[in-house]
Amino acid sequence: VKILIADDEPMARHLLQNILENAGYDVIAVDNGRLAAEHLCRPDGPRLALLDWVMPALDGPGVCRYVRKHRKHVYVHMVLLTSRESKQDVVAGLASGADDYLIKPVDPGELKARLLTGLRILQLEDNLVEARENMRFKATHDPLTSLLNRGVIMDLLSRELVRTHREKGSITILLGDLDHFKKVNDSHGHVVGDEVLREVARRLLSSVRSYDLVGRYGGEEFLVVLNNCNASNAFARAEEIRYAVARHPVETARGQLWVTMSLGVLPAGNLGPLPLEDILHEVDVALYAAKESGRNCTKLAAPKCLV
Amino acid sequence: MAGKDVPSVQVILDIPELLARVENDRELLRELLEIFKQECPSLLRVLEEAVARQDMKSIEKTGHTLKGMFATLSASGAFSAASTLEHMGRHEEKAGLGEALIVLQSQVAALLGELDTCLG
Repeated sequence: VKILIADDEPMARHLLQNILENAGYDVIAVDNGRLAAEHLCRPDGPRLALLDWVMPALDGPGVCRYVRKHRKHVYVHMVLLTSRESKQDVVAGLASGADDYLIKPVDPGELKARLLTGLRILQLEDNLVEARENMRFKATHDPLTSLLNRGVIMDLLSRELVRTHREKGSITILLGDLDHFKKVNDSHGHVVGDEVLREVARRLLSSVRSYDLVGRYGGEEFLVVLNNCNASNAFARAEEIRYAVARHPVETARGQLWVTMSLGVLPAGNLGPLPLEDILHEVDVALYAAKESGRNCTKLAAPKCLV
Repeated sequence: MAGKDVPSVQVILDIPELLARVENDRELLRELLEIFKQECPSLLRVLEEAVARQDMKSIEKTGHTLKGMFATLSASGAFSAASTLEHMGRHEEKAGLGEALIVLQSQVAALLGELDTCLG
């Protein structure tokens, strides 16, 4: 565990550093408040700090105020070190954002016990953040495939369309539907069907870039949003994705299954601010055309019908 | 008698308390004492100059730093003397500064002697 010690008095700093290193902490020791604030506000900075009250450049309470203001997304547990006479200032110290205080000279046993309390609080905070992130993920992702759920990808697509229009950029929308998926479920059962959906989701995700979006649109329908993909590249990119889905059989509990996908493609960069429903309708029409053409193929939507 | 003015060994340096503070790590204790012997004379000089100039801010600041070092060493006599000077600096009490400094100097001299014994 990383811990920062800030004390301008070299003897106290050396003593604290030794005690804490012997206790297994990874210690960063500095001799003024300004350096302490810098370290504590770094993204990978320590989350535990021992701060002397009186320091040059910035005092302990000043460091607390600075860190509370500037490192908002990660909690830092800060302990002020104060001399006996300034005990009456403890209230002011805690008001500045400190979590605890210790009277100098510090008793090693008490110091380690107080830091363990700090670590418990940080662990509690980590658990809460993790729980919140899990809930956020569950609220925004499809539980079976872990792709974005329909509501979220529609919302993100709306925003991307507005942004692309504003920045005069390019964007391509793909709607893909697994061919004969009902047969997979009917012949092999829903467990195997779920395996296929999960694997197709994985193949879709691995065939797009980090700033593209992939969502589960319906049962076996997937919506893919390719940012910065213009009309001249749209068809080729869609074919790459179709090939990525169909190239290898899917390993399932019932053996290998070959699956293919039909795709409708709409390069939507220059369409203007049209309602999302109209845009998706056109991609759906293109997908239907792909199905009508024998499946396992890609059909371009005709954007002119939208203008 | 000079013997009456020099504080007793227990007051100069509380060795058991000091050993507890370093968790009986004698090597660490030796390092701390070396740091103290290196830092103390220059801080004392700064304090002496500040007293001569009646620079109350500097007296408060240097008195505070010395007080912290004496506290770490469990040197209660020197701690009290530095604490008095810090208090006088903070409250702009100029009367008696010279006497307070003499008390500190004698405490420090006794302490440095005791430390030499400790360091062998």
